[in-house]
Amino acid sequence: MHRLLYALAAGLLGAGIVHIAVLLMLPEFSERDAWSRLGPDSDIYAVHRIDGGPAAEVLRGFEDPLFYVSACRFDLEDGFAHIKAPGGAPFWSASVYGRNGRNLYSFNDRTATNGALDFVVVTPAQMIDIRKELPPALVSSVFVEADIGQGIAVVRTFVPDRTWADKAAALHSGMTCRQEQ
Amino acid sequence: MIRTVLLTALAVSIAILGGAGSVWYALSAQRGIGAVSIGAWTAYPDLGGPQADPYSRARVARDGVLTLGRAEGVAFVASEDSSGERLRGECAYTVVGSLPPARLWTLHAADGEMRLLKPALPHETEIHAQSALRLPGGGVSVTVGAKPQPGNWIATSGTGPMTIVLTLYDTPLLGGTGLADAVLPQVIRGACDA
Repeated sequence: MHRLLYALAAGLLGAGIVHIAVLLMLPEFSERDAWSRLGPDSDIYAVHRIDGGPAAEVLRGFEDPLFYVSACRFDLEDGFAHIKAPGGAPFWSASVYGRNGRNLYSFNDRTATNGALDFVVVTPAQMIDIRKELPPALVSSVFVEADIGQGIAVVRTFVPDRTWADKAAALHSGMTCRQEQ
Repeated sequence: MIRTVLLTALAVSIAILGGAGSVWYALSAQRGIGAVSIGAWTAYPDLGGPQADPYSRARVARDGVLTLGRAEGVAFVASEDSSGERLRGECAYTVVGSLPPARLWTLHAADGEMRLLKPALPHETEIHAQSALRLPGGGVSVTVGAKPQPGNWIATSGTGPMTIVLTLYDTPLLGGTGLADAVLPQVIRGACDA
């Protein structure tokens, strides 16, 4: 009887250890993370609309039928990422995520110069280089400093009704995501 | 000897099944760790953020979702009405009350798995701050159901578990500690199809 109780106690203690181990290892070993679900690795720097279609699974719980959403994956290894889109929207917001899907920084149209959608993601080291001489093309860009290698940038624009649909679609189809030096 | 082996096997199986099962349970619970519950509504403001707890991180990794950032907004999900009954697609609901300060809010319905509903007819399936009719005093009253209703109405379809999602965009609630004190609308059940 004592040995059975002892085995139960050991099992519960072990369950606690397994619980903590599984919890901490899940983010490292998950193969269904947002990065992998956005497409193959070769597809990096491509801009994709992710609302509506099958890719909307990465927005589950945060998908809003009144928003158009585009995502672009980037790699800061050889240069910074510059994301730009023409036109505007009554409301838009952008988020920068790390490779693991963690939301590192977000901002909205109130932060941007004249509401223009134009931002760059830089590492702290690249930021120092850019500060020495700000390229004219980046004068009105929002700078997002993130100490990451690979990451994901997501832009969401509000589409109040169908009359805005064309303008919003043009914003997303004209969105560029480039690696720059 | 055989008893020792059996007891060891028992301890190991309790450890593995209990440990994995408890993680699964903690991550699947609607009102899990890191949740902010206000009335019928639940939100995970820190889910996926830099200050997220290990449970939120594991949830983000398991679901592979791109969460809303703090400057973007916060999504409140109701899976139960204000009296604690589960929301069902067969019933009509009224979301009534005042809304917290935000530049923009939107309201839509989703199924039990948080996928958007696709009604058969091209009815509006969502409503937002600029399209909703207001009550005197600034509140709103929105009917959520399959049958058309006067006033603010959003169409649902299907049967079974349903959720209503209220998203507040660019809200000062996320800047400080104001989220827990926010007042959100009531979700009141109306008529149901048998």
